[in-house]
Amino acid sequence: MAAGTTTIAEAAERQRRLELKELLQKQYKWIDWKWDLVFWVTAIFVVAGAADITKQLFAGDWDFWTDWKDPQWWPVITAFATIIIPSALQYIQWAAWRFPTGATYTSVCFFLAAWIGRYFQWHVAESYPMNFVWPISTVCAAIILDWLLMQTRSFILTSLIGGPIWALLVWAFNYIPLAPFLQPAHFMNHVLTVADVQGIVYIRSQTPEYLRLIERGALRSFLGETQYVSLAFGGTVAIAGYWIGQFIGRYLAVWPIRRYLKTL
Amino acid sequence: MAQSQLVQQRPKDYDHSSTTTGRSPQPTDWLVGWKPLFWGCALIMAANLFLWFWNYAFAFSAGLNSASAEFTRYYRTLFWGELIVLGVFTGIWYGWLIRTGREIAGQPCERAEEVRRIAILWSIIGATSLSIYIEASFWPNWDGAWHQTMVRDTALTPTHIPMFYFFFPLSVVLALGAYLYGRFRIPALYSRDKGFPWSFFLLITAAVLECMEVAFNEWGHSLWISEEFFAVPFHWPFVAYGWLASGMFAVWGETILRLFEIEKAEEVANTEAPFRPHAVAD
Repeated sequence: MAAGTTTIAEAAERQRRLELKELLQKQYKWIDWKWDLVFWVTAIFVVAGAADITKQLFAGDWDFWTDWKDPQWWPVITAFATIIIPSALQYIQWAAWRFPTGATYTSVCFFLAAWIGRYFQWHVAESYPMNFVWPISTVCAAIILDWLLMQTRSFILTSLIGGPIWALLVWAFNYIPLAPFLQPAHFMNHVLTVADVQGIVYIRSQTPEYLRLIERGALRSFLGETQYVSLAFGGTVAIAGYWIGQFIGRYLAVWPIRRYLKTL
Repeated sequence: MAQSQLVQQRPKDYDHSSTTTGRSPQPTDWLVGWKPLFWGCALIMAANLFLWFWNYAFAFSAGLNSASAEFTRYYRTLFWGELIVLGVFTGIWYGWLIRTGREIAGQPCERAEEVRRIAILWSIIGATSLSIYIEASFWPNWDGAWHQTMVRDTALTPTHIPMFYFFFPLSVVLALGAYLYGRFRIPALYSRDKGFPWSFFLLITAAVLECMEVAFNEWGHSLWISEEFFAVPFHWPFVAYGWLASGMFAVWGETILRLFEIEKAEEVANTEAPFRPHAVAD
């Protein structure tokens, strides 16, 4: 009986696989690779725009300047702001194709858009040096987030595990280029970081004096434990950011398909 | 109730025989259905390049003092020029869309022709996507760099003029134009009797909200809330645009489902009774 059940299950599975294989190899008359190409290429722009505007307006300053990449706020705000759109795309691509690629796709789009903006606008147009205004990358964290979704096949688990991991990895991978700017420097009879010196030397006319030094008294300890408290809190808010992204993916991108308001 | 359209098995313009050696144009050829994508994106990039290099040339020499004669010559002129160009373009395009749309409304539509129209809709959406990137990432980067470097004395700053008063309204024009295109030419999805699609409602609302947010933003800055930092709370509503623009994915989703329906209808028609008219069922 058990053997018979197994055989039926195996046959059903084989049949399902054959049907899927047939579907994959099905030749359509008008649906060809051009639709895929146009979708994936043109979607780059709206995804990049959405990711970049979300990051700029929620966490822009912490990404614009080296001296704003501080131990207290940067790990919290950046983790929250940068996970929202990757989460939305993760849902869209998983729901549409079972592709665990949405976060990586978004992060690559965001990375390109951020570099275009930072190079042409901040560096070429406004003459800020790139080592002062380089943007962060979320690509490595996104690969892990997508891998988590592929392994768990659960958005709940991906959010609970992936949110804190996102906060940790966004910080960790960007700490590598940041570390040289956190070295101590003696400047005008004060011990500052190299990043602080950049913030003082390169004039930001609209930035008032009270914001020139981003880090505050007790925190100026060259990465004390505040860093790890911030990372823990950043992981918490990243979970919230993940579910904002899920809302966008579910209810603003997928739910409206073929739904209509009342006739005008 | 499903809507049916009388269609021809063999479209006049898009012969599709794979056995013929000479290949006739297909609705999804790059220079048929997708042509508007290239033209639209080329025009948008040309406008962006013009404004980009205009600012490289004149932002520092003429854009710092809004009371100066140079500012009036180079930037107020640009501002009015943008609005006029955009207004004229919108009038001509919308006029053409509505006039020709009314002429073909209710007429039978061949399957190949509907595929071509969906490709054109995707082309307009693709151009809208490019416009959204330019207004949501390209120019805001420059806006942040400019306003954290220069003291503002007007709402018509060198970075606002291309961003707020050209690319913001351009996205409204493109999103609404895409709907008008679908409204008359892809009735299976967007005819009036179906109601207003949520997908376009979100996309158009996103673009319109962004223009309203410009008003709020400039009102706030007129109180001399300077850009102490870019992520100030009264900038936050701008992100609604990026989020609501997700409606674009719904447009892609519902049109690709329609393509599968057309393919299915074509398959059934070929199987059952070739060379005779068939109805495409929704």
